[in-house]
Amino acid sequence: MYEAVAAYPDGDSTVSRHARTAADYGYDGVVVRTRGAEFDGEAISDRYGSDVVTGIEIDADDPESAAGAVGNFRSDCTVLLVRGGTNKLNRYAVETDRVDVLTRPMAGDGDINHVLAKAAKTHSVHIEFDLGPVLRASGGQRVQAIKTLRKLREIVAQYDAPFVVSVNADSHRQLRAPRELRAVGEQIGFTADQITAGLDAWGEIAARNRERMDDDFVEPGVRRGREGG
Amino acid sequence: MKHLPKHLRPRWRYLAVEIEATPTAEFDRGDFQRALWYAAGNLLGDAGSADADLTVYAFDFADGSGEAVVRARHGETDAARAAVACVDSVADHEVGLVVCGISGTVRACEESYLGDGTPLSTEQHVTFADDSRPAICRDDLAEISMPDGFVAATKLDTH
Repeated sequence: MYEAVAAYPDGDSTVSRHARTAADYGYDGVVVRTRGAEFDGEAISDRYGSDVVTGIEIDADDPESAAGAVGNFRSDCTVLLVRGGTNKLNRYAVETDRVDVLTRPMAGDGDINHVLAKAAKTHSVHIEFDLGPVLRASGGQRVQAIKTLRKLREIVAQYDAPFVVSVNADSHRQLRAPRELRAVGEQIGFTADQITAGLDAWGEIAARNRERMDDDFVEPGVRRGREGG
Repeated sequence: MKHLPKHLRPRWRYLAVEIEATPTAEFDRGDFQRALWYAAGNLLGDAGSADADLTVYAFDFADGSGEAVVRARHGETDAARAAVACVDSVADHEVGLVVCGISGTVRACEESYLGDGTPLSTEQHVTFADDSRPAICRDDLAEISMPDGFVAATKLDTH
């Protein structure tokens, strides 16, 4: 199970602190959303036993600038995320094979419908369930967040679209252990298995992309090398 | 009033909760209890909150780190766990909470999951982001004082 976090300078905790807390809580590793974060993944993994996956979350105003950023950063990171929040950005993200995850699709004016869910499945773009507002917002905002999560869950389940779960932590104090997330998820209508699957999906994306970025990888099922060598 | 026969007494479970906050955060048991009730009331509703019946028993917090024992009704531990997860701040201080374990008695709870003894924190200067900055260090953790608040780091980030 992995969690995707925003680290210093975008967040209040460094990558190593996130990784240490995540390891304590029982995660296998963290996906770093922040492009400017500096860290030594190997040293962190040696010390705390937590895998660190390089990711970049693209926060663009429109699909055109998002497309530019996807082209620029795809090869720099293992997991590429595009922040949604408008219908145009959501649509761009789920229809782009090079994007791994569409984050916060329901934030702001964003919405997801059956067309986008089917596109996400076709292009294997994971849709994020953002539990952050459930844990940290209150009042009307939280009601709204739980309401939109329910809508998203129903559509995603109907079309079997790939999904991930995250709490969008800016600091290590905002992280919560997988068992806690399962308990919260069950209170707002998820099944425990859905939450676990969503946390596991980060690791599956990272493993798949690492294999693809390997020098010996030619295409799925084809690897360079000598027979028996 | 005469106490209830044993089979009619409510059965309880005790959650061992670890608390983490910024080194300057100060709050007491009452603040934590209030935050917990507020979180439970909002997430579970009045009925669910009454069922879970969350009460803070032992509470110990100093220098940004602490622990608590939270009592919940037997059979409501999942709801209690969810309510604990939804406590994001206590007395306006952001807190990280994790349930380390659940026991049937306060004593077992404390002995099994709590009281590892937090190492003392020291103040020292560390090099971070190309500058020497004051930091509060504990174990291999460092809370580095930056112009706009603390940055939580580890010894791996500092020199």
